[in-house]
Amino acid sequence: MISVNNLTKVYKLTASKMKELRTTENTKIAVNKLSFEAKPGEIYGLLGPNGAGKTTTLRCIATILKPTEGSVRVNGFDTVKEGEKVRGSIAFLTNEIKLDAHFTTDYMFRFFGRIHGMTEEQIDKRRDELFTRFDIHSFAGKKIEELSTGMKQRAAIAVTLVHDPEVVIFDEPTSGLDILTARTVTDYLKELKEAGKTVVVSTHIMSEAEKLCDRIGIIINGKKVIEGTLADIYEQTHTDDLEDAFFELYKENGGDVK
Amino acid sequence: MKNLILVLKKELYRVFSDRKLIISLFIVPAILMFAIYSLIGTLAKSMNSDIESHTSKTYIVNATDMLEKVVKDSEFGKNADIKYLSDSEYASQKTDLEEQIRNGDADLIVVVQKDFDSVFSAYKGQGDAIPNINIVFNSTENYSQQAYSVFSNALNDYRTKLLGSRIGNLEQLTVFNQTETEIVKESKAGTQFIAMMLPYMIMIMLFSGAMSISVDAFAGEKERGTLASMLVSPIRRTDIAMGKVIALAIIAALSSIVYAVSMIISMSTMGGSMSGMSSGFGAVHFDIMQIVQLGLMLIVLDYFFVVVIAVLSSFAKDTKSASTFVTPAYMVVLVSALLTMFQSGAKNTLVKYAIPLYGNAIAIQDITTGDIQPVNFFVSLGVTVLVSAILTGVLAKIFDSDKLMFNA
Repeated sequence: MISVNNLTKVYKLTASKMKELRTTENTKIAVNKLSFEAKPGEIYGLLGPNGAGKTTTLRCIATILKPTEGSVRVNGFDTVKEGEKVRGSIAFLTNEIKLDAHFTTDYMFRFFGRIHGMTEEQIDKRRDELFTRFDIHSFAGKKIEELSTGMKQRAAIAVTLVHDPEVVIFDEPTSGLDILTARTVTDYLKELKEAGKTVVVSTHIMSEAEKLCDRIGIIINGKKVIEGTLADIYEQTHTDDLEDAFFELYKENGGDVK
Repeated sequence: MKNLILVLKKELYRVFSDRKLIISLFIVPAILMFAIYSLIGTLAKSMNSDIESHTSKTYIVNATDMLEKVVKDSEFGKNADIKYLSDSEYASQKTDLEEQIRNGDADLIVVVQKDFDSVFSAYKGQGDAIPNINIVFNSTENYSQQAYSVFSNALNDYRTKLLGSRIGNLEQLTVFNQTETEIVKESKAGTQFIAMMLPYMIMIMLFSGAMSISVDAFAGEKERGTLASMLVSPIRRTDIAMGKVIALAIIAALSSIVYAVSMIISMSTMGGSMSGMSSGFGAVHFDIMQIVQLGLMLIVLDYFFVVVIAVLSSFAKDTKSASTFVTPAYMVVLVSALLTMFQSGAKNTLVKYAIPLYGNAIAIQDITTGDIQPVNFFVSLGVTVLVSAILTGVLAKIFDSDKLMFNA
């Protein structure tokens, strides 16, 4: 269960960043009073264009960033005051976080299993499950630097899920993956949902969100502009397609569609 | 603590499971160190023997009979090609001979005043003329410098003989005899060179050993996104930082031990080639107390260097900017160590031992010579521990900073 309440995140801008963004403001509101809940047994999708605040929101949930205002609770734990407990109950996967290429998948799997306080028997059992599910056994003993992009992504997913967490957060889960690996990932997210896990994904791929998410929250310029099931969104935007709905909302909220 | 040990083991495994890293961290530096010092020794030995065996090409103008005899019987005369010239011969060749000296084709010209003997004999008292001998040599040429030095000894003998002939009894000029009895502190005997060099070598080796791995372990991992994978796991960030620092300190210490052993072995194989250098090493005997003191100082310094590099690297976004941050620190270490080479011999005040780096360097120097006072040792050690502890706290703060760890 994830509960985001009035989350606001403001970044201070350096002089060079202000110049790059062509602004005289020395702060940037990345997320503005955002609230939503993701429940066990559902996949909640955060949709939005680049720079909308999706990644910042997920980073706040994963305790990487501290909210400027508001709060985030994961399985009842506050992300600021109980960061370790939150991190112990989530899996957070993003393209920016990678496994150390000097080690084998096997070593990293065991290392993070031990970090999560698992016994060797528990690690072995979980290893068999995940390595079989993601077809990792054949390259488990190879150094990560020797693996293909798809193999690395599968290895990263297995390592992230070593502790069988209740909450799974994926930032752009299929970004940069080939179609086969992408399908493996989306299928597994559905399995996690069936297993009663809370899954939150961020994406800007509308077709992926349509197929995957039970509920969707669209964020534009740091603010949530709509939330609900696909049917709810179609009804509220008078459209029958998520992409059309997104463009309608984007225009309504000051977005420039060329 | 359990997670700290897990991180420490992971960092150690990373190095010791990588054959290329082992070769580049331990084996290549050891071989290079041995090769460099052996080469220096061989070249120095060869240079010394070459200079000593060189036949000095010398011109002596207007040589007196006595001078000719003295030179012939002297050490100089045994290995010199001497041409005796008259005053007119010298006058006609002067420019050419000086050019030979300048070019290193000849080593020495000794110009004795033309009427040397008569001027010498005419001397009766103060104010009378004193004959002159002019020596022309080239101080930038080793052969010429050596010829000048050895010839000066022969000239001293000549001076003594002339004085004897003037006075009749040389003993009249001997107002006292001088004998020397050398008393040295046993622990200091033969240690001057090593005491001068050791702080410099230890600090440079420790810092460069730590630098090569620590920059990558912090800035490199941050840049590659591999540090983030640990930061999102249920482990205290302080444990990650400390686990890494301790592991790196162990690796850096092992690396510097390899450097030191290979250096000492190669120094001892130099034989007597470096006039005092190798004997300085050969004569060094540390007692248990010195070894313990040196060991403690090295452990503390090793940790200090790693944590300094860790802090600077953690501030950086990538390895390139980390290297830029670390280079000035390396310069400070270099200068602090070099300063110990210019000690006057006056006792250092306690305050100097409290200056990080410089205090460590002079403490290492004192330990080597057996001069260290317990209070100085503990002040130097204590300040380094204190500064390291503060820097560890800074590192923990950096690891808690979203902005610094995720460039957010």
